[in-house]
Amino acid sequence: MAIATPPTPAAARRMDRLEVMWQSRPGVLGWLTTTDHKRIGLLYFWTTLVLFGAGGIEAMVMRTQLIQPNNDLVSPGTYDELFTLHGLTMIFFFIIPMTTGAFGNYLIPLMIGARDMAFPRMNALSYWIFLGSAIFLYTSLALGMAPNAGWFDYVPLASKQYTPGHNIDFYALAIIFNSIASTLTAAQFIVTILKSRAPGMSFNRMPLFCFAFLAASFGLLFALPPLSADAIFLFLDRNVGTHFFDPSHGGAALLWQHLFWIFGHPEVYILIVPAFGIATSIIPAFTQRRLVAFPLVAIAELLVVFIGFGVWAHHMFATGMSTTALVFFAGATSMVVIPSTIQVFAWCMSFVLGVARFKTPLLFIAGFIFMFVAGGLTGIMFIAIPFDQQVTDTYFIIAHFHYIIFGAAVFPIFGGMYYWFPKVTGKLYFERPGQISFWLLFVGTNLLFFPMHIVGLLGMTRRIYTYPSNLGWTSYNVIETIGGYITLVGILVLFGNLVWSYLRGLPAGPDPWHGPTLEWTTSSPPPEYDFAVIPKVTSAYPNWDVEDREEDRRKLAGGVLVLDEGHEQVEVTPVDGWLSRVVEMPHDSPWPVLLALCLSLVFVMLLLQHFAIAGLMGILCLLTLLGWHSKEPEAA
Amino acid sequence: MLIASEATLFGAFIGTYFYFRFRAPQWPPDGIPEPRVVVPLILLAVLLAGSIPMHLASQAASAGRVGAARLFVLAALALQAGYFAWAVHDFSAQLQMFDITRDAYSSIYYVLLGAALAHVALGILFDLWLLGKLVRGLTTYRLHATQAIAFYWHAVNVIALVVTLTLLTAAIG
Amino acid sequence: MNRLRRGRLAAALVPLALLAAGCDRKQNALAPASHQSQDIATLFWWMTGVSVVGLAVVIGLLLLAWKRSGRRGAAADTHGSKPGERVGWYVVVIGGVAVPILLITALFVVANLFVIKTTEAPAANSTKRTILVIGHQWWWEVRYPGTSAVTANEIHIPVRTPVRLEVRTADVIHSFWVPELNRKIDTLPGTTNAIELYADAVGRYRGQCAEFCGLQHAHMGIWVDAEPPAKFRQWLAGQSRPAAAPKGALASAGRDAFMTGACADCHQIRGTSATSQVGPDLTHVADRQTLAALTIPNTPSYLHDWIRDSQRFKPGNLMPSFGGLPEQELRELVAYLEELK
Repeated sequence: MAIATPPTPAAARRMDRLEVMWQSRPGVLGWLTTTDHKRIGLLYFWTTLVLFGAGGIEAMVMRTQLIQPNNDLVSPGTYDELFTLHGLTMIFFFIIPMTTGAFGNYLIPLMIGARDMAFPRMNALSYWIFLGSAIFLYTSLALGMAPNAGWFDYVPLASKQYTPGHNIDFYALAIIFNSIASTLTAAQFIVTILKSRAPGMSFNRMPLFCFAFLAASFGLLFALPPLSADAIFLFLDRNVGTHFFDPSHGGAALLWQHLFWIFGHPEVYILIVPAFGIATSIIPAFTQRRLVAFPLVAIAELLVVFIGFGVWAHHMFATGMSTTALVFFAGATSMVVIPSTIQVFAWCMSFVLGVARFKTPLLFIAGFIFMFVAGGLTGIMFIAIPFDQQVTDTYFIIAHFHYIIFGAAVFPIFGGMYYWFPKVTGKLYFERPGQISFWLLFVGTNLLFFPMHIVGLLGMTRRIYTYPSNLGWTSYNVIETIGGYITLVGILVLFGNLVWSYLRGLPAGPDPWHGPTLEWTTSSPPPEYDFAVIPKVTSAYPNWDVEDREEDRRKLAGGVLVLDEGHEQVEVTPVDGWLSRVVEMPHDSPWPVLLALCLSLVFVMLLLQHFAIAGLMGILCLLTLLGWHSKEPEAA
Repeated sequence: MLIASEATLFGAFIGTYFYFRFRAPQWPPDGIPEPRVVVPLILLAVLLAGSIPMHLASQAASAGRVGAARLFVLAALALQAGYFAWAVHDFSAQLQMFDITRDAYSSIYYVLLGAALAHVALGILFDLWLLGKLVRGLTTYRLHATQAIAFYWHAVNVIALVVTLTLLTAAIG
Repeated sequence: MNRLRRGRLAAALVPLALLAAGCDRKQNALAPASHQSQDIATLFWWMTGVSVVGLAVVIGLLLLAWKRSGRRGAAADTHGSKPGERVGWYVVVIGGVAVPILLITALFVVANLFVIKTTEAPAANSTKRTILVIGHQWWWEVRYPGTSAVTANEIHIPVRTPVRLEVRTADVIHSFWVPELNRKIDTLPGTTNAIELYADAVGRYRGQCAEFCGLQHAHMGIWVDAEPPAKFRQWLAGQSRPAAAPKGALASAGRDAFMTGACADCHQIRGTSATSQVGPDLTHVADRQTLAALTIPNTPSYLHDWIRDSQRFKPGNLMPSFGGLPEQELRELVAYLEELK
């Protein structure tokens, strides 16, 4: 149902009232104080794209350095900063904020029939903190002291004794800083998905996108604290003189690894599960079929994150832990495979049983399935402990996780960009260049990452800035670098196409794909208030329920659940989705950006070791929070 | 949700404590006195007692009795502030005896204790803010605030209990 | 060619490419020279075979979808009975649950209950010989407990004799890895780890550090030389002896330059007054195949250039460049060191 063309004058009057209620301030101030989930989603989108570019440049410089043996394009020190920043940027500053911050923020309220997130100001706060942490980290690069001990930064190399400069302090603080933003986002998503759904959307009628983001959010909530603890310990060891990681005083170097991977393994599921959510949104739309084995897929999405918490030491098989411990973790790792294989076959059968239209979004999903299975199969190989101990820390591992991350997280992100492009911009993208961008990326990434399996087995370890000419690695490196450049071209074509489509594309209308979920019932782009009437939901594919959408039209004319008296939204019960009350939502506010600014100052002062001033800045943060909570919402 | 996150952070700290403990030949290490048992337990009892008035405050607010709610929050505040003052004094006295930079035991000991105290301090600030709001009467928002802060205190108290008991295990065996 | 069929072709090329890789012997996990590496390589080939089949099944389904997409009579499935759903569930449960459980259990049992017995650390005192390796930034110290032999970046072992290799670190985490002989083992501060070293055949096997350890992690290689037992004993006896006295005027001047200059501050030459253990032991440096942990060949001209400008070959390494030394002194040092066999 397109509310773009309201049928009755009464309906039109209500929509005008809503528009006035939900309008943002104009200009830059409007963007600085926005609490609208769509604007925040767009802020995240552009910021993460810039950071993706930075991470990509880091990768291309490394690949160019490695095109020939004994190359001297960059110094070893610079190379170390490049691979560290590349990992940090891509994981913390591209994939997580792009999937959760951009896609999650923009789409979750639209998919559940809500007008905004449950805590709009906290949502804005998440973005500004994220931006602050990104600027904080990249300042280190500008100052020539970027982190340089790898994205997992093992001690004792990362201790003050072996890396005395500020590089690692930037690392520890940036990680903690960034994790605050993600934690707030995770809490936000959980509450919103549980309490802000449209009445009638019981738990089993939620789009799979929401199951995926719910799983990822729980993952973030429980995985980030061990990492923060680790980073706190590192910061204290380096700046205060504690001995968490110092074996000569009762500490342990392996403690860093345990805490890191207790975070790190769930993290990789957090990276790909939202992408699964994107895939399970695109597949029904482009096969015009409800997803095969929907309940199994929903449970699998939740299970994979849950089981993922028990497998962390499979990243540590070569550290000399006892065989019993290793076998336990290999066993847990075996279990985590099953939810993924369930999903792979469900996706494939949905392709087979539906009527697959291989337009650009679905092509990216087909590519994603190929890459995810390839990467997943090498992952299964690591369950064999002796084999893992042979190839860990080599290019074989780099191949594995790039097939998974680029293939299973980035491909769906690209597919999702094409899929929701009409909704966000109101224009259609150009299909031919879209397909070309897919094939360039598919060929490029396979050329880039496949040979890494071979060269890793031939003995090429990871994180080396150069290699000798007599080990047979050169030709593979050349192919990989060429693949990298092809990938780069594919990315440029993709974004060029999106920009050109934005400028010259045909108007899209509200529902160009006949998609299954609620975002396709609004105009393109959606109005500020998202939904003129809170929609009626009786299945997991609401946009295909024609009678319910008719009912919505009648409700709009009659003023039922239009909520145009104030800046309002509904709250429902978490499991059954029964309406419990109407709540007043906060509107544009300067407090989030101000609080983020104060928090940034805390971290800067900690970096400079001005602990007292950092404390003062902390008090400033508390005062800002006070101001934030000074105005109360009107009683509902 | 955020409390779950903080609880996990403490979980990581406590895991670290036991990781060190089970690798150490002697615990506490040579030169560090075993923790006293009686004083910390009394202190803990004082802190935990604060949950009762907070719970009562929450109930009073739900029933609309703002005067009673205010008094209960004040009572809780007195208990919690008393605990905090004494605990901080104790903390700095211990720092004189063995410094945080001494070894892994002292590192995790002070981080655990410090983090718990920081959360108590935050809770006291929440109490003060709440009192300021309740002075001006009761609204749905302030009712929810009271319930939320009471929940915060119950969580902090559970964490404080686990932390105290963990640190006291060094006095056993 | 069909676009989607390209995927299948790519998948078919995998085993060919890997087979080609398997023929070389350089630092190649697929050119095993011990029963441990052989077991691991065999595991790999089986897993790859099964994986290729798995990938082919998935590609097949996608191709099938592409073929079927033009079929007549297919309508959108938005309400009602979901035609084909039952078949879908069967495929998901059999392909996604039953078959993976079977295959993974088989893999787990073979690899983690059987193969692991050969690759796990050998018990202390279970072999006749133990060798101690200590990782440094960015070189390997090698000691033979029970003798006074100390060398760097080269390990000699008797062929077809299991040796227990103990590994430690003097600074950060390194990882000892000689793929043709066994899996890798990390060196952790405050602990000693161990693996078994065993070579089927006489030869030289290359390895390198496999855990990022700082600026010159890329140049931290190691040779393992497997020799006939008699030759090995001869080598070990030679390594245990103190340094030979210099012959000739040039070499004598070189020894004096070594002892009075900065060299003795870091390098030990047993039998002389140079006893520092900061850098590698140089008592028998002329015996070694390479310098700087396999970075450059051990020839007089490279040795000369290394002393003069080590930073050029291994920037950031802990030996400063001695560009200020007069050329004559450099030649004397090289002459002395070249005699240390």
